[in-house]
Amino acid sequence: MIEEAIEKLAILLQGRIPEKIDGGKITDEGEHKLSVLLNQVFSFMQEIHDFVIPLSRGKLDEIPLPPPKNFLGSPFKELHSHLLHLTWQAEQVAHGDYSQRVDFMGDFSEAFNSMIISLDNNEKILKSKIGELEKAFAQITKLEGILPICANCKKIRIEGADPENQNSWVQMESYISERTKARFSHSICPECMKKLYSDFVD
Amino acid sequence: MFKEDRDHKKFTWKDLGDLEEGRPNLGQNVPLLAYRLLQYTWRDVMITELGADKANDIIIKAGKLAGAQFCENMLNRELHFDAFISQLQRVLKDQAIGILRIEKADLEHMRFTLTVAEDLDCSGLPSTDEVVCQYDEGFIAGIMEAYTGKPFHAKEIDCWASGDRVCRFAVRMLEGAK
Repeated sequence: MIEEAIEKLAILLQGRIPEKIDGGKITDEGEHKLSVLLNQVFSFMQEIHDFVIPLSRGKLDEIPLPPPKNFLGSPFKELHSHLLHLTWQAEQVAHGDYSQRVDFMGDFSEAFNSMIISLDNNEKILKSKIGELEKAFAQITKLEGILPICANCKKIRIEGADPENQNSWVQMESYISERTKARFSHSICPECMKKLYSDFVD
Repeated sequence: MFKEDRDHKKFTWKDLGDLEEGRPNLGQNVPLLAYRLLQYTWRDVMITELGADKANDIIIKAGKLAGAQFCENMLNRELHFDAFISQLQRVLKDQAIGILRIEKADLEHMRFTLTVAEDLDCSGLPSTDEVVCQYDEGFIAGIMEAYTGKPFHAKEIDCWASGDRVCRFAVRMLEGAK
């Protein structure tokens, strides 16, 4: 039996799971107890192997968990649980929930929490920029459409105001200034200069 | 409150007394030792007097009452689920009750898988086939019931110990509760 045990332990050390020792043929009580314990080790290693291989490939669901009595599997179950939790957290972040934090998971916690804070800050900055752009866009849209303008004096009629009322008509500068950030500085073009102030023009 | 026979629960949050002023010198915190001593001796006597099933049933019901009161008095129930869970994690950590982690959440069917590490009831106990966190089962179900207004069931489905002991719970809304 000792020879068989050595052979099977060597197989285990090579990273493979050996067949169980057939205890039925063993007559020595001590050897029988040893075979039972070795078979339990082989079972534990088989359970861990069946669990860890799919886990290492990123499969988190529907993989066979080692039972609670398999104490050798505990660290792997802990790792699996942490990965499930991080996956859930990542899904929350993907849905825009930045309130989650990962606690007591070492480097994972630090990196993950920094990422969430950074994403949250970036989104706030983006939202602020979008707000500014929307405001600017709203100003621009105020100048959209057909503007009723006086064919002679070039005053513009305020939207929806009574065309018969003189107060409904405002200077173009005033109209545009109220609806945009544009400001006017008054000057005079060469043609008007010639027309109005011909004495001062060569 | 404690001496009359009755068939309905009367516990309210104020029965805890004024925790701020009650212990000006010793403060509010007690060692885990005192908590476990209370819970385990109580449990031991209940098992001998009432049997294991009845004792466990009482512990689950007590946990549920505690969870519901905890939710009503320590948590903001108006938050949407994600923010509520985030708050719950934070409060459980701040109160040193345990480290809650959600593994899966199916909001459509109201089913969750979560773990509690460094738990008050069982952290440091050897991992065995025996489920010991009945109080937690009730506590978690009670919190969810108070939050959703629907009946919930929580069951410890796994545990392991790698350093501290971690327990995994399956939590679900009871059938027909929608």
